Amino acid sequence: MEPASGTASIEAVHLLTVGPFPRLLAEELTARLSREVGVPCRLLDEAAEIKPQILPERAQVHADDLLRQLEALPIEKGTKLVGVTLLDIAIPIFTFVFGRSRLGGPATLVSLARLKPEFYGMPADPAVTVRRGVAEILHEVGHNLELKHCRNYSCLMYFSHDVETVDLRGLSYCSSCAPLLPAGFLATGRRRF
Amino acid sequence: MTADESNAQQPALLIVDDEPIVQQSLADWFRSDGYDVDSAGSAKEALRKVAEGRYDIALVDIKMPGMDGLELQSRLAEVAPDLTIIMITAFASVDSAVKALKAGAYDYVTKPFDPDELSHLVRRAVEHRSLRSENIRLKESLEAIAGSPTIIGASPAMRRVLELVGAVSETDATVLIRGESGTGKELVARAVHNQSPRRYNPMVVVNCGALAEGVLESELFGHEKGAFTGAQYRHKGKFEMADGGTIFLDEIGAITKKVQVELLRVLEDKVVTRVGGQTPIPIDFRVIAATNQDLEAMVEADDFREDLFWRINVFTIEIPPLRERSGDIPLLAEHFLGQFCLAMNRRASTITPEAIEVLSAYSWPGNVRELENAIERAIVVGKECVVHSEDLPVRVSGGADREVPGSSLADIERTHIHNTLVGMGWNISKAAEALGVDRGTLYNKIKKYGLQRPPDGAG
Repeated sequence: MEPASGTASIEAVHLLTVGPFPRLLAEELTARLSREVGVPCRLLDEAAEIKPQILPERAQVHADDLLRQLEALPIEKGTKLVGVTLLDIAIPIFTFVFGRSRLGGPATLVSLARLKPEFYGMPADPAVTVRRGVAEILHEVGHNLELKHCRNYSCLMYFSHDVETVDLRGLSYCSSCAPLLPAGFLATGRRRF
Repeated sequence: MTADESNAQQPALLIVDDEPIVQQSLADWFRSDGYDVDSAGSAKEALRKVAEGRYDIALVDIKMPGMDGLELQSRLAEVAPDLTIIMITAFASVDSAVKALKAGAYDYVTKPFDPDELSHLVRRAVEHRSLRSENIRLKESLEAIAGSPTIIGASPAMRRVLELVGAVSETDATVLIRGESGTGKELVARAVHNQSPRRYNPMVVVNCGALAEGVLESELFGHEKGAFTGAQYRHKGKFEMADGGTIFLDEIGAITKKVQVELLRVLEDKVVTRVGGQTPIPIDFRVIAATNQDLEAMVEADDFREDLFWRINVFTIEIPPLRERSGDIPLLAEHFLGQFCLAMNRRASTITPEAIEVLSAYSWPGNVRELENAIERAIVVGKECVVHSEDLPVRVSGGADREVPGSSLADIERTHIHNTLVGMGWNISKAAEALGVDRGTLYNKIKKYGLQRPPDGAG
């Protein structure tokens, strides 16, 4: 396997947990993602070579550094690698990010830290966390599949800066974005707009 | 993104920060959020970019080597006073941010940025700008509508004018309004604008005759800072201000040949370049021009460009002088009376039949404007709630003749007929019409009272 280059085709999505991550939650996330996409989703074993770097003076992980490490992993051709973590991630100029990816890149990074209801003082609800996690994964993978941000607030590719917007935009790509995705990426019956 | 959405004009942001990583990250982030983004690594570069381009919002880092953000803010306020500035600061320099706010910055944001807070802040700034410009536009529209008095006139000549106004308003055709001074050319221009699809955008009035050549050029096309001595700030021209609306060029015959050339180019291309500027600015406007001069004779005399004449002479509306529509005088007088009584908080007044006769008999060289002034004066000097002929200015009420009238009915009739004849320029038909008698009767009265037409030029 060689480091993959950006491509708009997709044959599989592989999830890789980074940092402490309950196995049950990871499996639930993978299962829920499988229902949304039409390509196989598989949960990989942890990669020992991934070393999250802490941002100086902040108890947060450097998201861009972590994304670079993920992209450097051997990724099968036609596969998109999704790094999921419960660590709070950020970049130097922003106090936090939900996820990071490059347009046409081979890998994405999504943090569930700020997608959990309990982060905002609400009762824990794993179903909500998983649904938001899947929405963020589909958004970032959308970038890997060369989709840009969409101005339709109900589209998965809408730019969200807060968890309310993540909830508002739902789990569907809009009628402008969906046709731009590679054939077979969306699960049958998931082409609803 | 749909095609329509991608074509919509996005707010233009300028990020000014000496750290390339901040510039790059913010630029990428805002671009993703649908903004048109540019960046500058220093205050000097920012000033150059703002002078050359059009930006809505600048995010300015306070701490920069060389000229800092605070100094840049004051320089930007000179170059582009309508630019919205948001200061970027570290926690340690919040005091500086407060100084920036006092100096007119819209807000400040601290590093590292909370994405949600930054997004809301910039969206709020965009909304604020949009509301501010909408407010200005609405005020201008309101002024245009509220300040637009009704065109009064039941005479055939004025009915024809109103028909022409109605016909041309719906189109975007250039209109040339001709008429003597005081006939209400601006009023007709406003009527055209207010009935046109552009009515919710401003009608910008330029009195070409009131401005010297250098000033007129700058007034019409705007100027960049430093374009000439005294040009301390960038100035938007009247054409730019009329974007989406109408520009009314009053006294167009008064502009110099040099400005005529520039004006012709702008009317043809619908693009202006500010004086001292390089960037052509496309503008959507309709032109209404007005003159009391004989433009054809000016073209003959080579004082007015023929190509400009044909460019503005697309649809002509001729406003008759008041003396040619004396039947409208009572209507106009009553209209002004009501208007001034309201403005002066007076009880409703009336005009005596004698005063109406005097008004109808006068020739009104100053046209409607003179009549308006005469009524205003009469209300001011009148003690009762009735306008009498003696409340009118002496020149209107008959001058010396009227000051020493005889007391008999014949004296009064003689004076009245004389004044009417003078007012109508000794046009027997019109004078007879104004007096309510036939031409034969009038000839008999002229003979009876020994009235004689003065030689030409003697009034």
